[in-house]
Amino acid sequence: MVTSRIDHKWGMVVDLDRCNGCQACVVACQVENNLPINDKNSFLQNRAYEWIRIERYWEGDYPNIKARFIPVMCQHCENAPCEPVCPVFATYRNDEGLNVQIYNRCVGTRYCINNCPYQVRFFNYWHPNWPERLQNQLNPDVTVRTRGITEKCTFCIQRLRRGQIQVERRNGGELNDGTLKAGNHMPACVQACPTNALVFGDQNDVHSPVKPYFEDVNKYNIHHEKERKTRGYRVLEEMNTKPNVIYLKKVDPNLGDGHHG
Amino acid sequence: MRPSANIIPLAIVGLVVTGIVGFLVAIIFMSWFSNPPFGLGNAPAQPIDFPHTIHAGTVEEGGVGISCEFCHRNVTEGAAATVPAVEQCVFCHQQISPENLMASSLSSVDQDEMQLVVDKFNDDDPINWERVHRIPDHVRFVHEAHIRFLTEGQPRTVAMPIGDGQPRELPLSTQQACSVCHGDVASMNEVQPTSGQSLKMGTCVDCHRELNVGTDCTICHK
Repeated sequence: MVTSRIDHKWGMVVDLDRCNGCQACVVACQVENNLPINDKNSFLQNRAYEWIRIERYWEGDYPNIKARFIPVMCQHCENAPCEPVCPVFATYRNDEGLNVQIYNRCVGTRYCINNCPYQVRFFNYWHPNWPERLQNQLNPDVTVRTRGITEKCTFCIQRLRRGQIQVERRNGGELNDGTLKAGNHMPACVQACPTNALVFGDQNDVHSPVKPYFEDVNKYNIHHEKERKTRGYRVLEEMNTKPNVIYLKKVDPNLGDGHHG
Repeated sequence: MRPSANIIPLAIVGLVVTGIVGFLVAIIFMSWFSNPPFGLGNAPAQPIDFPHTIHAGTVEEGGVGISCEFCHRNVTEGAAATVPAVEQCVFCHQQISPENLMASSLSSVDQDEMQLVVDKFNDDDPINWERVHRIPDHVRFVHEAHIRFLTEGQPRTVAMPIGDGQPRELPLSTQQACSVCHGDVASMNEVQPTSGQSLKMGTCVDCHRELNVGTDCTICHK
């Protein structure tokens, strides 16, 4: 523990029942975090940068075919597979429950990318370029990553840091659930989500909306999944990476006991 | 064939290689011991010869004693200290202009520089100040948090491994707080990048470690 001041443990809950795949989070992330613009080529080469992406699945047969959307961002795993493989300690777990990537330490071995089961780490194969008219829209709080280093979702740590400083200035308080919302210090994807499918909070804060879900999922592990009181689950839970992102199952009225119309 | 026929080209290659390696070693040594290396530490030429001595210096020293945050307005409320807009200069220099002052009280150089400010304002032309202190893109330094730590809170004595290394009595005035890192700017005619603390990471980390204010990488790198 390097600091006594901070005892946050950030977490995110994604309600798949509310997500309609509008991709507002993707755009918000792209703008906030200085991501280069993906063109057709980068998608064709599977080298597109999307710190949060919407995965689309099709379910059922025609005419009862349904599109299912899952927003996938860095899961900030507690047993992160990306961390032990980094030879230069560029990615590690910090005091706030985040899996952070230090760009100036990274030497670009790409071991972490290959070891990440969620495929949410991205390698800069090129120097990022923006059109001339977009040069001045870059976020000054975020490093523009150069060629040859790995990058990933940070839970918008620049917003959390700025929030902490602003909250201290205004009322000398801590960054908690109320001040997070009041100052819009939540990650850009959460702020942009029109249906509030993404919920961000501090797992150590009793007032946080994410706390009950994390408690429930932590209490009943993958072997006791049926006993959970909430709809929460973790992606690839059987790998025991212990992500700090929890997904809530979609409630489908056509399945199970939900025949209400 | 005589062996000496091959020695001359070999000797030339050897000399060249030795020269290149020696040059690189010299560069590495110089950049390590002098920060920043090779004259990059010299202050850039500014469009207007702004004397901090007159503006920020105390009245006894012949200045007018303006506080730092009067011009560097954002320093207590944001990451960047900011240099003032030309309107901020004219706030005073509307009155303190060459026309309003007796010519005897100013040298002709001072009058010319002052006239430049007024002209810039009248032409709606911003002054393109050159940045003196530069830190790399992957570092975020927030002035506000540091100023608040040094100027607010209960009276306390902290050991700061910066400058002369003496324990300091906090809270300081804003002007004293600035000079912890920037040196005594009020006595400098031209602010040099090297005139205050070294802006190397070690300087930051020493202080953060000593004061137990967090050494997580993401405090500065994000």
